[in-house]
Amino acid sequence: MDKTVHADNSSRKGWFLNSPWLRHESLLLLILVLEWLYFNSVGPRFGTLENTYDILRHSSEIGLLALALTPVILTGGIDLSVGSLLGLCAILFGKLWRDAHLPVWEAAAAALGFGAAGGAVNAWFITKLRLPPLIVTLGTLSLFRGLAEAVTHGVDTFTGFPGSFLALGQGQIFGLPAQLPLLFVGAVVIWLMVHSTVLGRSWRAIGFAAEGARYAGIPVGRRVALVYVLAGIISGLAAVIYTARLGQAKADAGTGYELFAITAVVLGGTSIFGGIGSVHGTLLGVAAIAVLSNGLVHARQPREVAGMLTGALLLIALAASVLAKNLANNRRR
Amino acid sequence: MNAHVREISVALALGLILLALAIFADSFYQPQPLLSLVTGQAPALIVTCGVALVMIARQIDISIGSQMAVCSVCTGLLAAANWPLGLVLIAAIGLGALLGAINGLFVAVLRLPSIVVTLATMVTWREALRWQRQGAFVNLPDGLQWFGMSQTHGQLTIVISALVVLFLLGLSTRHLAAGRFIYAVGSDVEAARLAGIRPQLVTFLVFVGMGALTGLAATLHIVQSPQVDPNSGTGLELKAIAAAVVGGVAISGGRGNLWAVFLGFLLLACVSPALIHLHIEAYWERAIAGAIILAAILADGLEKQTARFSHPRTPSVANG
Amino acid sequence: MKLITTLLLLTAVLFAGCNRSSEMGTGAPSSQKKITIALLPKSKGNAYFISCKKGAERAAKELEVDLLFDGPTDPDPAKQNEIVENWIALGVDAIAAACENQEGISTALRKARSKGIKVITYDSDAAPDARAFFVNQATPEGIGFALMDEAARQMGEEGEFAIITASLTAANMNQWQKYIEARRSDRYPRIKMVALRPCDDLKDRAQAEATALLSANPNLKLIMAICSPAVPGAAEAVKQAGKTGQVEVIGLGLPSENRRYVKEGVTQTVILWKTEDLGYLTVYAAQALARGTLNPADHAFKAGMLGEFQIQGDNILLGKPFLFNKTNIDQFDF
Repeated sequence: MDKTVHADNSSRKGWFLNSPWLRHESLLLLILVLEWLYFNSVGPRFGTLENTYDILRHSSEIGLLALALTPVILTGGIDLSVGSLLGLCAILFGKLWRDAHLPVWEAAAAALGFGAAGGAVNAWFITKLRLPPLIVTLGTLSLFRGLAEAVTHGVDTFTGFPGSFLALGQGQIFGLPAQLPLLFVGAVVIWLMVHSTVLGRSWRAIGFAAEGARYAGIPVGRRVALVYVLAGIISGLAAVIYTARLGQAKADAGTGYELFAITAVVLGGTSIFGGIGSVHGTLLGVAAIAVLSNGLVHARQPREVAGMLTGALLLIALAASVLAKNLANNRRR
Repeated sequence: MNAHVREISVALALGLILLALAIFADSFYQPQPLLSLVTGQAPALIVTCGVALVMIARQIDISIGSQMAVCSVCTGLLAAANWPLGLVLIAAIGLGALLGAINGLFVAVLRLPSIVVTLATMVTWREALRWQRQGAFVNLPDGLQWFGMSQTHGQLTIVISALVVLFLLGLSTRHLAAGRFIYAVGSDVEAARLAGIRPQLVTFLVFVGMGALTGLAATLHIVQSPQVDPNSGTGLELKAIAAAVVGGVAISGGRGNLWAVFLGFLLLACVSPALIHLHIEAYWERAIAGAIILAAILADGLEKQTARFSHPRTPSVANG
Repeated sequence: MKLITTLLLLTAVLFAGCNRSSEMGTGAPSSQKKITIALLPKSKGNAYFISCKKGAERAAKELEVDLLFDGPTDPDPAKQNEIVENWIALGVDAIAAACENQEGISTALRKARSKGIKVITYDSDAAPDARAFFVNQATPEGIGFALMDEAARQMGEEGEFAIITASLTAANMNQWQKYIEARRSDRYPRIKMVALRPCDDLKDRAQAEATALLSANPNLKLIMAICSPAVPGAAEAVKQAGKTGQVEVIGLGLPSENRRYVKEGVTQTVILWKTEDLGYLTVYAAQALARGTLNPADHAFKAGMLGEFQIQGDNILLGKPFLFNKTNIDQFDF
């Protein structure tokens, strides 16, 4: 970096506040470590490998949704329909397998396709009609869940999947939970897309200023449409893993997941206005919430406390971030 | 003509449903049940007006369901402790305003995004209430139902109160300077600031007002039955925001009027009773509501497209 | 790059720190260690399960066991699995679960059994191979038939009735509806069910639905509310519509929430069972299973102060559904 431009950085007072140590992700990492240390001391079974696998297994679907939402929120958009889309894909998957007698892995691939279709619906409203993502996905949130209920009449449940399929959600590969490789691959792919490709850079640019990006020659419509379709595909994948973990598919699958996913993304430092954010921040956010929720069980606390603390954590983390930034800005002046 | 397209189309859709009911299920129009139905919806209408104002100010509030639950339970507990009705009402509005102020603090002062702040407060209030109540109903004292009046008088009072609130809010957003400030802040914050308006203050007060309205709605709600369910208000935010959207309020702020929101509210509110009277299966309800919302959104988008083609350089006009 | 290195280092440190594998098995507890029993309701804020918990706590005090009570606080159907898996990691001795999703939770319960944790179910059963016993207060068949029989009795075996349920996806209520319908078509062909509406487990929504049902179906004779907040909701609707006595209300609910309506004659019958006894019996059974004093071949089981209970196969029977009405409702305070 050009030392003359950043001459102020070398002064003592400015150094700490402007350094990478005070970045949002670092703070979150600190919180995560503190959580871990605390729960380790309070709950004897908390730090075991087995419990860690549990945490991973329980957070894999929400983790995937949070990963899917990161590019969406980076572009300045939002997608409230991912949870409902998960439910719709889950029952369509079940229906294809049970009623249309498709082999289970083909039906799973089809579920991804349905997810893409759902994402495409969102994408169309948002890019072609230029409608606000919050409102569009609020509508598709109801629509997808409603379709899932209409198809199953609310009542129908799909169970009895073959063992080889259930192993995806419940079994192990080399001693690790079976979902882990998928989660890992998903995280790496999304990380690369966001941080290392021109695509990711264009998403950030669109999030900062869509009109500016357009004038810079970025095909804004296509890039934005891609994030929603991508979110849809990942919802479909999460639906398959969810069904495998539970052993059944019902119309109410994934209820409320979108809010957890958004909380994780925002906690991880991605700005809801777009342009700023990181995939590793999202992963840290998911980890912080999952560890908190799991740890409180080991600390023998009622479940409601986890919800309250998560809400409080979100507010405090955001407020701290803003205050730190303001302090840094003031110092720089 | 353009300015009233939304009102007309929603009114048309509403008219169609009412017509269908008149032809196929005129049992809908019996006065007593209809009054009961409308009374039940009155608190939600008040909340919807509040959320419409929040959205016009370019913010959003998804914690209103939890606020409603907290206010209902606390109000019920105060009433059960034999506080006089007037004090109970004031306490309810005050509590709601306090909850709204907390949202307003984070959004207006700390400049945090309202969707995240209200998401956090929604979860926090709801879980705290669950922890405290453990699902138990609150039993209200006998004289509280219908404010101690007869059922019909009480119901009429509640309905008229809601309509008065709607009327007052509608008039003040059109004619009072303070009301126009909300539109100004929602359209363009910088321009508003340059015009001498204090956007932070306006935003803060909008959230406080939202909370106060929720408190009022909670009081009107608890006098309708002798017990308070601590789970009441679940799903209220979605309902209210959807009604505002159908009524033409733009999430990008600065646009929308409360009369259209009222029509949108009526449209969505009659889906459920219409299905019951027309003997249509219940599992269609959510899909139909979602379709109405998407249709409204579609109409918004098409309107934008045609506006762009026919008046390429006309800036968007703030409606209402 | 600095951040990534820090992350990797920390992960390594943490993993090194958590190499304590689960040393003690969760099988037969030593006689000095206190037994931990984990009680899982269908949902945590539900007054019905709170009253089960009261009985359970009483039993836990008598038996000197640790009682963990935790349940889902949101409608996520996967939450019960997560809670059970948390308890497996925690190393509890026995789990007693009221199952929301029969197939879904069986997955987690089987896993618990494979780790040596004793599993019983109460209120709503899981798959038979996922638990040792089911503390059965009433089979879905028993509940469905009792509801339909009582409805028929109130309606004079003919006419129209409507059902208000919690949601269209609630597994246990769907089961009850199945048996209600089976009983109706079998024994009461002159009775017709005209509507089935969900109330999202909200009393006020049930009131609104009932109001609309009353005006849409002028010949309606009875409303059957099978989710507990819906019973007072429907009763209030009938009262406000001025149809007390004209339209009967019955349902599955708590006496305390319905007492005023039963006394006023709006609600005729509330069907339930002694929920505290259910909790009490469940904890006793779980403890006996953990201690090894309850075995699959047993025919009867003695539970503390409640006395002996019959065991039919792998079902421990609490008894039949109890009908609360004007004459006896004051005797109960839950």
